[in-house]
Amino acid sequence: MSPLILKLILHSTWQTLEMVVASTALSVILGLPLALFMIATGPQGLYRLPFAARLMGMVVDAVRAVPFIILLVLLIPVTRFIAGTSLGTEAAIVPLSIAGIPYFARIAEMALREVDSGLVDAVRAMGGTRMTIIRSVLIAEALPGLVTGVTVTLITMVGASAMAGVIGAGGLGDLAIRYGYQRFNTTVMFGVVVVLIIMVSLMQVIGNSLARWLKH
Amino acid sequence: MNPILDIQHVTHTFGQHTALQDISFSVQQGEVVGLIGRSGAGKSTLLRCLCALERPQQGHILLDGVDLTTQPERQLVRIRRKIGLVFQHFNLLTSRTVAGNIALPLQIAGCPRKEQADRIAELLELVGLKGFEKKYPSQLSGGQKQRVGIARALAANPTLLLCDEATSALDPESTSSILNLLADINKKLGLTIVLITHEMDVVRRFAQRILVLDHGRLVEDGTLLDFLRDGQNNRTLQTLLADIRPSLPAFLTETLASAPQQGHNKAIIRLVLSGDNASEPLFSALHEQFNVRTALLQGGVTTVGEHLSGDMILSLEGEKTEQALSHLKTAAQNMEVLGYVPSHS
Repeated sequence: MSPLILKLILHSTWQTLEMVVASTALSVILGLPLALFMIATGPQGLYRLPFAARLMGMVVDAVRAVPFIILLVLLIPVTRFIAGTSLGTEAAIVPLSIAGIPYFARIAEMALREVDSGLVDAVRAMGGTRMTIIRSVLIAEALPGLVTGVTVTLITMVGASAMAGVIGAGGLGDLAIRYGYQRFNTTVMFGVVVVLIIMVSLMQVIGNSLARWLKH
Repeated sequence: MNPILDIQHVTHTFGQHTALQDISFSVQQGEVVGLIGRSGAGKSTLLRCLCALERPQQGHILLDGVDLTTQPERQLVRIRRKIGLVFQHFNLLTSRTVAGNIALPLQIAGCPRKEQADRIAELLELVGLKGFEKKYPSQLSGGQKQRVGIARALAANPTLLLCDEATSALDPESTSSILNLLADINKKLGLTIVLITHEMDVVRRFAQRILVLDHGRLVEDGTLLDFLRDGQNNRTLQTLLADIRPSLPAFLTETLASAPQQGHNKAIIRLVLSGDNASEPLFSALHEQFNVRTALLQGGVTTVGEHLSGDMILSLEGEKTEQALSHLKTAAQNMEVLGYVPSHS
């Protein structure tokens, strides 16, 4: 493998990591409150608002229904508004996050729903405020599940970021298409696949052990 | 003295279904009350009303003079801190250690961190789990989890301890130790305890006073002794008491006749004794006074609260059996002739 190819792969790996980590971070920061909102306003929630819960659920499903490659193009004006440009690695973080937020929100919602309602009752009966219940019961008890959700989201973002080449974001996927596919460079293709496998495996292993450590 | 808990005409319905109907009773400071009923009798609803998680549609619940049914939610959050709740399935946070779980009500009450540690150590000592601070609930047995549950319920110095089927998920040994612990807490702290259960055996061993709930109504309010005395005429009580009362073995039921006949004159009786009566030398007294041979077939003497209480089935045989029976009728708390069997059996 020539030093040039190595440099290309290294550079693309860095771009992919940048997109994946940034968009997952945004997905968690904005997706978790969304999940809490859906749980809290839901039928057995702390702030029963069935209409709001249903509306939010519909918005989440609508975004998730659009394939990412289409979302990427569809969101170009939004990307330009937020990032100032619709091209490049930083710009790709916008559509990746917009796809990631409802994705993580649904996973987090499932993890939060798994929390025993008896625990919520117990802390309510103790005189805990709703904020205490959200912090000390819902989030604390669902933490292992939420960590698993972050792992799944990270890996999904690795896959989605491969398509971000369409808007000139670079990254491993883009490299594989341009060099491996369009220029018949099998070495680059294999190199990219190996890096992706290692990246995803590492994420899974770290995520699993963190979740296990949190699960007492 | 004003009661610590005063329930006045509480009625609560879910749609068409009436869960509670015109429930009234009061509990004095330091009392241990068992609330018993079969599943669906309205126990859980009543409990949720008592700990202010549910607002009854009619009636009033006064805790220490404050009416829970008229308080706004903001005030109820404060009032709930004065009620300790012990759950059937413990409901401990798995993400927190034993100390963390006990600390939660203290954190909610805004207790300073330094005082929390002292209070936790004190509570763990009380429930017999010294040195368990750093363990997680998943590392504990059922009985130990419930001890943590009790410590947590006591943490914020509640005025009332409500136990919801607190022993129903435990094995017999743990059940005994938890009941002993609760009795101990009642004695040491003078804490009022309401124990909700479907098991007569639990209230029998523990409660000074028993309330019976059936189909959303409060049908009985009394001591176990009252129940044993009046049990024959009350269907609800009979079914509840059947669990804990001695019953005649099948081989005797087969030959039982309602009146004595030739060669069929061994009397079978059910005898209820309480207080001093229960420790009297009954068998020798019957022998000396009436020359009657007495045998114990079922049951015996147990402690109910602090008193001895006897509930037993005896056979009496001899010339003066009838005199012995009329003597027992006046001397015992309750005596019921079940029938007569052949003298050789």
